[in-house]
Amino acid sequence: MAYVATRGGERAIEQSQRLFKAEMGEITPERVAEIRAAMPYLIDRVMGEASLYDEDLAALALAQTGGELYEAVLLLRAWRTTQPRIAVAEPVTQEGLFTHRRISAAFKDIPGGQVLGPTMDYAHRILATEVLDGQVHRPDPVEPAARPSPARQPSVAAWQAENGLLTGAVPDKTVGNDIPDVTREPLLFPAKRAHTLQSLARAETGGVLALGYAAQRGYGQAHPTVNELRLAEAEIVVTHPRGTQFSAGRVKVSQAEVVDKKGDGLRLGFAATLGWNEVKVIAAATLDLNAEGAPKGAPTEEEFFLYHTEGVESSGFCIHFKLPHYVTFQSSLDAMRDAKAQKAAKEKSPEPAE
Amino acid sequence: MTALPQTLSGWTHAQQLDVLARADAARIKAFAEPLIADLPEITVIENRTGLVMLPMRDTAQGTHFHLGEVLVSEAHVSAGGQEGYGMRRVRDLEAAMAMALVDLAIALGHAPEACAAFLSNEARAQSEADTETLRKVEATRVDMETF
Repeated sequence: MAYVATRGGERAIEQSQRLFKAEMGEITPERVAEIRAAMPYLIDRVMGEASLYDEDLAALALAQTGGELYEAVLLLRAWRTTQPRIAVAEPVTQEGLFTHRRISAAFKDIPGGQVLGPTMDYAHRILATEVLDGQVHRPDPVEPAARPSPARQPSVAAWQAENGLLTGAVPDKTVGNDIPDVTREPLLFPAKRAHTLQSLARAETGGVLALGYAAQRGYGQAHPTVNELRLAEAEIVVTHPRGTQFSAGRVKVSQAEVVDKKGDGLRLGFAATLGWNEVKVIAAATLDLNAEGAPKGAPTEEEFFLYHTEGVESSGFCIHFKLPHYVTFQSSLDAMRDAKAQKAAKEKSPEPAE
Repeated sequence: MTALPQTLSGWTHAQQLDVLARADAARIKAFAEPLIADLPEITVIENRTGLVMLPMRDTAQGTHFHLGEVLVSEAHVSAGGQEGYGMRRVRDLEAAMAMALVDLAIALGHAPEACAAFLSNEARAQSEADTETLRKVEATRVDMETF
């Protein structure tokens, strides 16, 4: 066993961190507030992957890391460990969501109808270059309808179950601290469904998209159609010391169901996350839909996609390869040189014929 | 014997707490502060930030799973044999304490008219904000026809 010592490392590390931070300049409360106000979808993505909902902390993490998303998520996950868990809220239900966007690609006449909500799905993608010439880009204001949309919308899946298209979901009596939690227990395979859905909720968006896209392109067993997609706000229902349940506020959530034909019925894949991030939940629901019976090593196999979409672990593993591996690499070189020498020696003195 | 905690006329305890948790931070602090002088000696049991884990119900199989944790501020106080409790989203210990103090004041039957007026105003503001949001959402409704 050998070690390599680095001289001057402490100073170099200190200066390298200063160099990284120098590019960003001062981090001020105003900068954090501006990031929070101007980039809600980036904030949502970071909160979802960090599994920690607080817009101010997410904006601060982005400011502090210069937008290096893996660092920002790592910073938030690390900070999270400094906080006590005060409570586990009541489970959020689809029917209880304060709904901003709700569409279905499978059925046009879903109960409650379809509202597009905030989306750029149907927009021309034109860069507002006039801003670079000194002009201000002011979006046109929304023209509100005379009457409000219903805050709560019925479940498409429940309607399908009532019509015999789906097997209805079985009520789960597990609540509170009894709900399996991957932050407190290991992820083992075959995974508990609660672990699978929690892992997908906190998974890295790009990783989930890559593997979900692979399944959508044909490397999966099922072709997804979006049964229901929602962007909404969920109430955080907690309990007062006197036993009264109340909402401590709302958080943004995204939820997707994808559907495929199975025999003479339909089957659903499901995913949800903190914040509004519909690419992630559609891709994650596609993986959930395809997981059953997926062959070992396929992108749709549960162990494969859960291990490879955990952003903090995968980015950490990836970047660890740039850290000094001098001794192990030298050992590989020694073995290679030894093999070469043995081969050369063999070629020089061929074995005598028998 | 300790008296039962009171609630405002026409309100349930849950409704009071829902409104207080979403009340404007500056306004609830301004409202709660003058209440302190007329309340019995207050014991602060807790005033901290922490996390609330938020589970969700999966619509495919019905499984409860964890979406992630939400940062909250919490305050728990007692006075005159009653408790006051506040929990609000975000990192604002003063706002959580203000909520707990208003909850305590109501439980003790202190300044019920002022508390009712404050809650009514906040409830109206919250309802108006929700309606305004939902009117904008309704503007994006689509009706589809098959040809």
